[in-house]
Amino acid sequence: MTVHNLYLFDRNGVCLHYSEWHRKKQAGIPKEEEFKLMYGMLFSIRSFVSKMSPLDMKDGFLAFQTSRYKLHYYETPTGIKVVMNTDLGVGPIRDVLHHIYSALYVELVVKNPLCPLGQTVQSELFRSRLDSYVRSLPFFSARAG
Amino acid sequence: MVDVVLFELLHKEMVAELWAQAPDPDLGPGGQKMSLLVLESIGFRVGQALGERLPREMQAFREELDMLKFLCKDLWVAMFQKQIDSLRTNHQGIYVLQDNSFPLLARMGSGLQYLEEAPKFLAFTCGLLRGTLSTLGIKSLVTASATALPACRFQVAIQRA
Repeated sequence: MTVHNLYLFDRNGVCLHYSEWHRKKQAGIPKEEEFKLMYGMLFSIRSFVSKMSPLDMKDGFLAFQTSRYKLHYYETPTGIKVVMNTDLGVGPIRDVLHHIYSALYVELVVKNPLCPLGQTVQSELFRSRLDSYVRSLPFFSARAG
Repeated sequence: MVDVVLFELLHKEMVAELWAQAPDPDLGPGGQKMSLLVLESIGFRVGQALGERLPREMQAFREELDMLKFLCKDLWVAMFQKQIDSLRTNHQGIYVLQDNSFPLLARMGSGLQYLEEAPKFLAFTCGLLRGTLSTLGIKSLVTASATALPACRFQVAIQRA
């Protein structure tokens, strides 16, 4: 099992943070373009899912998977979006995504007076804690390289 | 006690507001000193009140060291939910209070990032210590320094009349 990469978006589509662990195939476009593409797709999925759903939804869009990877999606009422790509073996990881939001983003970015909101996060403490948290996950494995 | 987050956010706003209002950043040290002074005196006032309120069930302090211990234990627990990590003195009126993970800095970083900004976030607490001591009848000078976040030290110099 593997964690490929992680995106953090705010409600306006700004990419607050991006980290990458095991990614064999790069998009072949500049990172800024990739963030816009990613956000655009998530935005469309959100509206697609809400229109197509035959019933009122509680959580909305949760995840999708292809033949090779699975994309997990978590959105807070304030519009912060945590997006993680893993391989297919990983089950629902809502609590993990929520932990990244509540214990890392809120604690180290929102409560840090020197981190302006709505911009790429510069705090080294946040980056290093996030990295060590993801590396400690049971389904994070380096063997896939 | 009110939730800690409220105090932390209010403190953050006080710092931000005072720096935004600093008369002219080009003045350099002058403008900055003014803001530090305002923060320090707000802390002083809060410290005075806490000094009156906290030592409720204790006997009168016998000596200076007891009062400093009171700062490290009761005052720190009341403000930051933890005790200070170490207290040292040269027995000539200089005390050094070291906190290895100061709550107002703990969220900002570990190491050298943001080190330049740290003094702003220590001024209030300097005043707090000075105010509490002044209620207990001691005149002092309190300065703070940080060399690597989130650790910092407060130096209390007792002034004898």
